[in-house]
Amino acid sequence: MQIYVCVKHVPDSAANITILDKSRIDENVTFLLNPYDEHAITEAVRIRDTFQESEVIAVCIGKDDAEKTIRSALAMGADRGLLVSSNDDHDSIETARVLKAAIERTGEPALIFTGKESIDAEGMQTMFRLGALFDFPVATNVIKIDVDETRAVIDSELSGGNVNTYELSLPCVVGAGRGLNTPKYPTFPDIVKSRKKTVKKFIFADLNIEPSKASMSIVELEPLKQARSPKEITGDASIVAQKILTILKEEAKVI
Amino acid sequence: MSEKYDAIIIGAGVIGCPIAYELSKMGYKTLNVDKLPDAGEGSTAGSCAIVRAHYSTADGVAMAYEGFKYWLNWENYLENVEDEKGLAKYMNTGSILIKSQGHDWKKVQKNYDEVGVAYEEWDNDKIKKEVPVADLHEFWPVRRPEDPKFFDEPAKEVEGAIFCPEGGYVNDPALSAHNIMRAAEAKGAKFIFNAEVIDIRDENDKVTGITLKDGTQIDAPIVVNVGGPHSFMINKMAKGVWEGCNIKTKALRHEVMYCPSPDGYNYLADGYHMSDGDIGCYVRPEVGNTFLIGSEDPECDPQEWVDPDGFYAGKGGKGKDNVLTDEQWKAQCYRLGKRIPSLEVPNQPRGVVDLYDCSDDWIPVYDKSDLPGYYMAIGTSGNQYKNAPVVGHMMAELIDACEKGLDHDKEPLQYKFKYTDRSTDVGFFSRKREINYNSSFSVNG
Repeated sequence: MQIYVCVKHVPDSAANITILDKSRIDENVTFLLNPYDEHAITEAVRIRDTFQESEVIAVCIGKDDAEKTIRSALAMGADRGLLVSSNDDHDSIETARVLKAAIERTGEPALIFTGKESIDAEGMQTMFRLGALFDFPVATNVIKIDVDETRAVIDSELSGGNVNTYELSLPCVVGAGRGLNTPKYPTFPDIVKSRKKTVKKFIFADLNIEPSKASMSIVELEPLKQARSPKEITGDASIVAQKILTILKEEAKVI
Repeated sequence: MSEKYDAIIIGAGVIGCPIAYELSKMGYKTLNVDKLPDAGEGSTAGSCAIVRAHYSTADGVAMAYEGFKYWLNWENYLENVEDEKGLAKYMNTGSILIKSQGHDWKKVQKNYDEVGVAYEEWDNDKIKKEVPVADLHEFWPVRRPEDPKFFDEPAKEVEGAIFCPEGGYVNDPALSAHNIMRAAEAKGAKFIFNAEVIDIRDENDKVTGITLKDGTQIDAPIVVNVGGPHSFMINKMAKGVWEGCNIKTKALRHEVMYCPSPDGYNYLADGYHMSDGDIGCYVRPEVGNTFLIGSEDPECDPQEWVDPDGFYAGKGGKGKDNVLTDEQWKAQCYRLGKRIPSLEVPNQPRGVVDLYDCSDDWIPVYDKSDLPGYYMAIGTSGNQYKNAPVVGHMMAELIDACEKGLDHDKEPLQYKFKYTDRSTDVGFFSRKREINYNSSFSVNG
């Protein structure tokens, strides 16, 4: 069984992001593996370990520097990597076509994982476009998955915490959600082992991607300026706790 | 501001506060000014707050060991003052110094014997018993992961360790400075915050006071520079002071990492502080059962000297601002991952980036200056947190003696420790010294 995990090389969420020319960010910051993709790799590795003769292949489109992100996936347990090298930005239509081409040149997928979104573009489209191109079923924000030889039974979390359970025939595309697992990070011995793993490089132009009739491009990026107005919460511990609870419920609406 | 002060202390970190406390106890009317909103919020807050005695000189060991007595009796030192934020806690984990080529541990042991530091010698079996997650292979020399030799298989083992049971760390360094501020206030000391010094004024070749950014002038016949990473900028504001220092200070960017403890190992409850020169790291437990991983500044690591204002504003650019870098995250975590092979290293860096106020030889400058009335406690180079209460007392005695006529440059003050039966030559910390090549030139001091 071949399990592909599509990974993205994204800026560290802790980085100081600066916008240049109103349309791109200053890339002189730390880039790393998209956090949702960590859940995808961890799950792919777990599933691989329950099926004989199966492998996990990490796929990425990006600049050469994105090999670091593939290396992170290999250290986390993926068996080999595919990097489609491109210095350009690609919209989700093109990205899905590229990923499909790289996968098709490598083998036959039984499962394709993505993260449920990337933390930079937050487009949430790649998994659906991949599914459509391959004609595979798709589920996203997946928090549980059981796989046998022919199907995957998944739990998909909807807004408000509701969970739907679906059965997908294989091959299928799965967008990993945060609740899927606790990512298993590499130890030093894992990192040493992963150094011997291979990353195959494709050049974007060599994949002969058919241009799409539709496309999407960035018109303008604007930094989000959040006005912060700190308020001191006073009183004894129980009153402070009660006030925080009220704020979280009524103002922040997170609980 | 109409009030008159005997001494203005620039900085309210973990060294500025005890200077105020000790001067106040001697009857000086003091004012600390700090550009941040509260005590200990600058580079003190970023300190690893490790309390250990291993230094490369006997005087260094003696001063650190003297410091233990303050941390072990914290409430007593503060004279039981109340702090609405609570008291910082001394976490007396004990301190392991791995015997390796990365530390001159034989010199440390000799210094321990000379000063009378309590210690035990541990063989590797004992280390394995106390730190069951450790792999005791020798990994020397320290390298970076970019170097293919970083991944070479080790052959030999380290030679055991020296364990100092009184060592440990302080759980909240910013709070410890705040505690000392409250103790100082109880003795009459005053503090003002959000106040940035832009000028040191003088008249007739004697310091007369400071000017703040908002134009406020505050007068005092004594000004003490405890500006941490901004110390060199403050020295440049005072007439002839910068030029009169043979030893200069500058701001060194430094990254410290948080990496989760391996499954099944409760490092927070069962762990020790450990200095491991073999891998160029020191570690201590941190809340959330994580390893706090500091770097012992191995030669292969780059040093980033930065403008402190740009750094704190996050405007230095990658590797010069206050955001962790992937490269250093991997270097420090992978080094520790060799010693602790079950340590899982997340992809996203977590930790603290702050600045050392670093001197030319990594030994601090505790001294007067060429401008009468102007003193400095600077260049603490990431290794003086533990000494702060001792330095507070020593600086107060130095200032008092100089104000009473001591020519410290000619006849350096001999400071007698309160608890350890020894004196130290304060001239050792002189601004006029030549670079001390006995120094480790690292955070080890």
